[in-house]
Amino acid sequence: MPDTTDQPAEEQARISRRDLLRKAGAGAVALGVAGSAAPFSFAGPLRYKGRWLKGDLSIIQWVHFVPAYDDWFDNTWVKQWGQANDVQVNVEHINNTLLDTRAAAEVAAQSGHDLFFNLHPMASYEDQVINHASIINEVQRKVGKYGSLAKLSTYNPKTKKYFAISDNYVPDPVVWRHDLWNGIGESPATWDHVAKAAPKLKAAGHPIGIGQSQELDSNMALIAFLMCFGSFIQDEHNRPTLQSKNTVEAVKFMASLYKSGEDAGIFGWNPASNNNYLYSGTGSLILNAISATRTPESQHLPFSDNLWIWPIPAGPHGRIGLEHVMGCYSIWKFAKNKENAERFLADLCIHGKDATVASQLYNFPSFPGAFPFKSIRKLAAADKNKPNGKYSILTTIAEKYTHNIGYPGTTNAAIDEIFSKYLIPQMFAQVSQGKLSAQDSVRDTMSVVKGIYSKWRKRGKI
Amino acid sequence: MTSRWRHQAFAYVIAVPFAIVLAFPFFWMAVTSFKPEAQVYDPTKVWTFHPTLANYGFLFHHTGYLRWLRNSTFVGIVVVLITLAVAVPAGYALARLSGRVGRSLGVAIFLTYLVPPTLLFLPLSRVVSKLGLGDRLWALILVYPSFTIPFAIWLLMGFFKAIPQELEDAALVDGCSRLGALVRIVLPVSLPGIITVVIFTFSLVINEFVYAITFISSSTNRTVTVGVPTDLIRGDLFNWPGIMAAILIPSIPLALVYNAFLNRFITGFTGGAFR
Repeated sequence: MPDTTDQPAEEQARISRRDLLRKAGAGAVALGVAGSAAPFSFAGPLRYKGRWLKGDLSIIQWVHFVPAYDDWFDNTWVKQWGQANDVQVNVEHINNTLLDTRAAAEVAAQSGHDLFFNLHPMASYEDQVINHASIINEVQRKVGKYGSLAKLSTYNPKTKKYFAISDNYVPDPVVWRHDLWNGIGESPATWDHVAKAAPKLKAAGHPIGIGQSQELDSNMALIAFLMCFGSFIQDEHNRPTLQSKNTVEAVKFMASLYKSGEDAGIFGWNPASNNNYLYSGTGSLILNAISATRTPESQHLPFSDNLWIWPIPAGPHGRIGLEHVMGCYSIWKFAKNKENAERFLADLCIHGKDATVASQLYNFPSFPGAFPFKSIRKLAAADKNKPNGKYSILTTIAEKYTHNIGYPGTTNAAIDEIFSKYLIPQMFAQVSQGKLSAQDSVRDTMSVVKGIYSKWRKRGKI
Repeated sequence: MTSRWRHQAFAYVIAVPFAIVLAFPFFWMAVTSFKPEAQVYDPTKVWTFHPTLANYGFLFHHTGYLRWLRNSTFVGIVVVLITLAVAVPAGYALARLSGRVGRSLGVAIFLTYLVPPTLLFLPLSRVVSKLGLGDRLWALILVYPSFTIPFAIWLLMGFFKAIPQELEDAALVDGCSRLGALVRIVLPVSLPGIITVVIFTFSLVINEFVYAITFISSSTNRTVTVGVPTDLIRGDLFNWPGIMAAILIPSIPLALVYNAFLNRFITGFTGGAFR
């Protein structure tokens, strides 16, 4: 290899490694100093400094999709409740995709938070949690009955145990760009309309955005889609019924919809992807909660007034939707502060109205008496965002078209496992990607589903 | 001269596209970190925007970023020290163990590196809990060597093997003890390998996510990898400028260290491997 050190002119023209280090180091220091000197005041997290409290309570929950909710929860609700009950409450927020991992770790360690929040009922951890019946009874005494959606989601009729308590659920509308759909003379009233519009929208550079990935939103959208086609994972007696002609038809329909009106990106989506697809101005329709409209409103995106929300499109079997999120708290048997956790949960559910207001109508109370539909409708109608009154439809969606995962049966351990393993999005994706025929994909999925049901039946949970 | 020019031109033709492709994410990261948040989604403001330090200010004053950095650095340094303390003697011993036993042991140790954290975090959760290390940085310091040490041993083993036995024999004949030969003769010659282990271990620790999210709960004990996605992604709201700033800052010193020891790093990776 030639030695180049005998060429001083060339050498001088270069920046030596030492120079580079010196300059880049100085740059890094300058960046740090300048950044730290930017004009912001520090608001530290310390609370109750120098005060001894009677008890502790640790809570883990997701980072809410409506940031205003977390602000209310952390800085108003928790603070006030902690002071009123003389309890030091510590809240940890983590990304929703990490909740299942964290739950598994806490169970394995038999140690963790006093209150564990998840976006779906954790029926498979029934043996690890207390029976939440006493909390539910207490709340019922104050605000009336536990909603049927919540009961079907958190109660195991076989063991007669409430394995969780839901404080809220979230209606799951279809969110669509009225300007784009209007431009092609269509609207997403039925799935046939969606299929008809999809190629035109894609050709115009605005594809449909229904995920087929291993994530929450794909799970919810596709299970609801199946139900609109008369395909159900189980019947009302919690017996698996996935393998049916209707399922095959639904899978074929979605594969065709993907080919004509979607992008391959849907196979790698995470729960925020469909929202971001819409925010980028590309997506023309997604199935999501109203965080998808609230963010464009708060960020003043140019098309925010053209985002409409409707109930899920009707299929051959009708219009049957799911909740988008079933907010459920569980108290582990190994929790250190069970009493505080129970008290906190009861109070939170009783004050469901505050949570609904703070979440800007994202959370609906699982105890309907805490904030009746009539009052919610009034609040929704008063929303100033355009088109006027667009959020009023949420109460209709909640009342008529929102069902539990596992409908017409209950949400049980088998459903929880199917949901957590993302078997349904996988079943769809295999066909859409041309890896399997619809018949084979449904058959393969059913064989796994049967095994899951058999396992949980043996354990006495179904 | 023409031949040399051709040789250089050829090298640049190969290297420049690679350099652009590899450097572009960092460039984009730097640009975005100086953008006002409202202009991130604006296609008309890709290159023409008003640069601001507000994102860095937000990081330093409204999140626990400095603490996360300190936590990551602390864990990284301690784990590097533990890894070196275990891997250097282990690698040396295995390198000098002749025959099948040494080889098999070396391979067996390396195989443990291949077990993914996604499998190990559940059993390790129980270990961490039993030891009372939940939500403490010491949990990470306990767990991280489980994947840094096997790799370091394997790397150093190859490096030690490449050092001629005669060098040590000469030292022993001159009156050096076995430990003395290791410290005075073997280690100085193995410096590129040791530096490689230091850099590689530190990078692994800084990048680790699964154990950090599992074993650390409180915001004050978070490392950068956990703090950034937790505090800078609010549901579907990605604070892109903040995220970019948060990633850019630790990547600068790491890039400088890599650059400073680049030649030795390459020697460290290839030296043991090809002999």
